[in-house]
Amino acid sequence: MVKKKVLLAEDDGDDNFFFVYFLEERVDISILNCVENGLEVIQFLDALANNEDLPDFILLDQNMPKMNGLETLKYLKGNARYASIPVFVYSTYADQNLAEKCGLFGAALVHQKPTDKEGYNKMIDACIEMIDNIA
Amino acid sequence: MEATARTYEELLTQVTELQWQLEEANDTIEAIRTGQVDALVLESENGHQLYTLKSADQTYRVFIEKMNEGAVTLNKDGIILYCNSQFATLVNTSRSSVVGAPFDHFISLGYKNQFKLLMERGWKEDCKGEVVLKARKHPVVRLSLTTLELDEGFSLSIIVTDLTAEKDAQKDLKNKNEELERINHALETSNNDLLQFASVASHDLQEPLRKIAVFSGLLKDRDTNNLSENAQVFIDKILSSAERMKQLIIDVLNYSRLSANDQKPEHVELTEIVKDWMTDYEILIREKRAKIYFDQLPVIEANKGQVRQVFQNILSNSLKFSKNYVPPVITITATRIKDKNFDAAPGNNGKYFRISIKDNGIGFDQKYVANVFSLFERLNTKDKYEGTGIGLAVAKKIVEKHNGLITARSTAGVGSEFIILLPVAQFY
Repeated sequence: MVKKKVLLAEDDGDDNFFFVYFLEERVDISILNCVENGLEVIQFLDALANNEDLPDFILLDQNMPKMNGLETLKYLKGNARYASIPVFVYSTYADQNLAEKCGLFGAALVHQKPTDKEGYNKMIDACIEMIDNIA
Repeated sequence: MEATARTYEELLTQVTELQWQLEEANDTIEAIRTGQVDALVLESENGHQLYTLKSADQTYRVFIEKMNEGAVTLNKDGIILYCNSQFATLVNTSRSSVVGAPFDHFISLGYKNQFKLLMERGWKEDCKGEVVLKARKHPVVRLSLTTLELDEGFSLSIIVTDLTAEKDAQKDLKNKNEELERINHALETSNNDLLQFASVASHDLQEPLRKIAVFSGLLKDRDTNNLSENAQVFIDKILSSAERMKQLIIDVLNYSRLSANDQKPEHVELTEIVKDWMTDYEILIREKRAKIYFDQLPVIEANKGQVRQVFQNILSNSLKFSKNYVPPVITITATRIKDKNFDAAPGNNGKYFRISIKDNGIGFDQKYVANVFSLFERLNTKDKYEGTGIGLAVAKKIVEKHNGLITARSTAGVGSEFIILLPVAQFY
């Protein structure tokens, strides 16, 4: 199985830990990197010379300093090189309002932050299913 | 000395005599003015002569004298030929000083030009204008000008209406309106602040709460073998508390949002609302062997999502607060009624529906009826019956937002009846 490369943008250390801790056993994904905000997402992507090295999908936390999820999403969808990468947004409080805003700028899915391993797995399952549907 | 004294006495008598004559003349004028006397017959060198006020018939003289407005007539030069006592009062001057003076004399400095133009126009056509009089209180007055044809030729008559009270009332109204606007603005700001606070607080509160839940879960799953039995129980308690707090935050947020979102009312089929609820609660209904009875329920104009919430909160309570070993029986009825009153008589053209949701649950003492609709009020311990104590507060807020009323009638150990009055149509 070809592992899907995921890039996580998350400023909260605990959430970074949860993400890696709950998902490292999965065989279908590889965590490419965990960066702390939108600016670092762009820096990281720009540094990848080969398009094959780009992530298969990006998960953005909404509340991040410097450049939040929505702002990062807008940038990525407006950039020719990155526009086709599926982007997912997650937040502690993901309401209709956030979902609508993100949907407007091309986010594939907006998810509420999970509270246990099962929740994390379900979220990633939903992401992968959506990517497969797009492809 | 004696001659001087006599002369002085004579003069004094003369003065008294003249004063008496003046008084008599004044009385006569007053009598004519007020309409008590129409004409005077005086003896003169040419025999008896009849004196009367020309073109002034008694009724109108009285009328003009008694009316609330000031009245004056002017000649071509703007000199006052006649004035009623009301005008003299308005300008705080005796009537005798007013007659013979130019009208312009009583106009406040800044309005003289305006009056000049008004007077020029008044000679040509009837017209009105506002000026300020030169008097102690600087009254604003409306002048209504019209020409009158008298025996001596044309004169200009002016009715002077005191606008002070009207202007004061207008000013008062304006002040009150401004005050109201200010209060409204403050209220709006404070409402927005509150909403913002609720939103931010709820969002930020969830962050640490989620961490508590995740780490407790980690501890429980990963270190099960190292934990004492007590420790495992405590972790479960932490988890359920976190879950409960999360629900509270979500409920509070939803409650605070009720005041904000103003969706357009739509047609809501109450039968459909109840049926949907039964589908959602299918498992619990089956488990409790509950029976739900309802006849044809009406269609009302309302916010569908909110009405759904009202029914869900009340119906779910009926299921929740059922008696042990007694299958719940819930009966929903609706009657169109004449007035917005819980005991109003039925009426086919009434503007309200009375909706009753009755159960055979544990009920409560009627004296707690106000408490059940208050935020966070719980009549039962949360160990036995879970919940945040917000459901009925939300129901009440929604019903009242729809211009309706809600109450409950209950007997402990027998059951509860929730009565909702909702308008057939919304007027907004």
